[in-house]
Amino acid sequence: MIKAYILVKTRVGKLEKVLQKARELKNVESIAVVTGDCDLIVKVKVRDTEQLLQLTDELQTIDGIRQTTTHVIEKEITL
Amino acid sequence: MMFLKIRKRYLFYALALTSSAIASISAGVDVIAIRKYGEVYEEAPLLYGFSVFLVGFIITLLFCLIFSIPYKGRSLGSFLDPAFKHLRFVRKEEIAYHLLAGFGNAITTTGYFFVLTVMPDPSTVLPFYQTVILYLLLVEVIAEKNAPTLVEIQSSAIVTFGAILGSLSFKGEIDLSALAIVFLVVNPGWVLLSIYQRKLKLLKIRGEPNDSLNIRFWNILFSLAFMIIIMLILGQFFKKPLLTIGTESSINFFWLVSVIATLAFFSYIFHIRALGIGKASVTQAVKATTIVFAIPVTFILSMFIPIPFPTTPTLWLIRSIGFILVILGIISFAITQVRAYIFIRAAPGVRVAKLIEEIWKIKGVDSVSAVSGTYDVIARVTTRTLLKGYERIVKRLESIHGIKEFRWNSILKEWENV
Repeated sequence: MIKAYILVKTRVGKLEKVLQKARELKNVESIAVVTGDCDLIVKVKVRDTEQLLQLTDELQTIDGIRQTTTHVIEKEITL
Repeated sequence: MMFLKIRKRYLFYALALTSSAIASISAGVDVIAIRKYGEVYEEAPLLYGFSVFLVGFIITLLFCLIFSIPYKGRSLGSFLDPAFKHLRFVRKEEIAYHLLAGFGNAITTTGYFFVLTVMPDPSTVLPFYQTVILYLLLVEVIAEKNAPTLVEIQSSAIVTFGAILGSLSFKGEIDLSALAIVFLVVNPGWVLLSIYQRKLKLLKIRGEPNDSLNIRFWNILFSLAFMIIIMLILGQFFKKPLLTIGTESSINFFWLVSVIATLAFFSYIFHIRALGIGKASVTQAVKATTIVFAIPVTFILSMFIPIPFPTTPTLWLIRSIGFILVILGIISFAITQVRAYIFIRAAPGVRVAKLIEEIWKIKGVDSVSAVSGTYDVIARVTTRTLLKGYERIVKRLESIHGIKEFRWNSILKEWENV
């Protein structure tokens, strides 16, 4: 099982549409709209790197997404 | 798939509200049951309390076994709590917490049933329960080194005053002895139960999050053990075989008590899940809505047993103001929370595995991950206000050796897969 944070930058005026589409994607654990360097932080949980690639591909094809940066989680401490 | 992604905050409130709606129905059935016990037994509250745990244990065991059945690669119970896999043995690190939570549950339940015998209208009893939020805030200040913000103090005061106003009985009276039992026995017991249930929920079992079904099962077993001890001690005191009478009464009223045990099971499961998301005091604030749900329950109950109805419009007005205050208090709790992701770059030569453990120690950090990519660490934090975020999180991050730079990204909106 692989978990990753995908930091998404969107084009101005497209955020709401991107959000709608991103919420329909499979294997997405959470989506947060944030202020700062990026616009969205998408947390995903996939079976393997193949599935991660498929998911990032799907994300990148959403109209309005300018850039994605994937940060694979190597170790996580959580509540 | 889309409908499954709901905002985390909504999930928390949905869980806590469902829990309080079920709790108020359960309180209504309690009143009927305790009357039935009173017709047969002298020590009705004590025996009923014992039955609730004994029958509750059987019902909970049954539910947990049913929910352990696998379905499509996961357990049936995972639909109630995604962390649940199957019923398991209690683990060593859980025992101390279970002992305290079980003791709290035993005394709060028995105390509560004593109060119910004095005040038969559940809508006048339940509000007193809500003042427990003040105890929780105090405990959080001491135990979690978490000073409450002005909003937390204000909201708690509003909820408490609202609860007191809403609790005026239909005759316009407040029973002082009942109030004393609530403040000195019921509420401290509930605080123990709440705090340690939260600690249990936050505990990791073999690296996985703990689940509310196992917590509930073991809690009721430990509570039953304490209840047996209480029955034995009081049996010596009253010179009566209370344990035997208690078991006999549980058999006689098995079906009635099993209805209550079923309601309590679901109410607790939702409550424990909510506790895993929000602070104990905030969960309690939402649970205060029980008093609003208790009104229709009282009306329905009055069809079966005699409960005096309000005589003056003034009383209705006072109670309505009480309910409005409770809801207002809860809303102000709800809308004042700041969450953020912090992206961190480690200084060269620093071990990231150690660094995330350092960051994890900071109060308010919900999760911290070592990641590959532009940044080395991503932490998710929750704080009541930005000022508190600076005081408690940013200042601490700055003092950690090995952090080259970090960026705070406030969360404006969030969805979570549930």
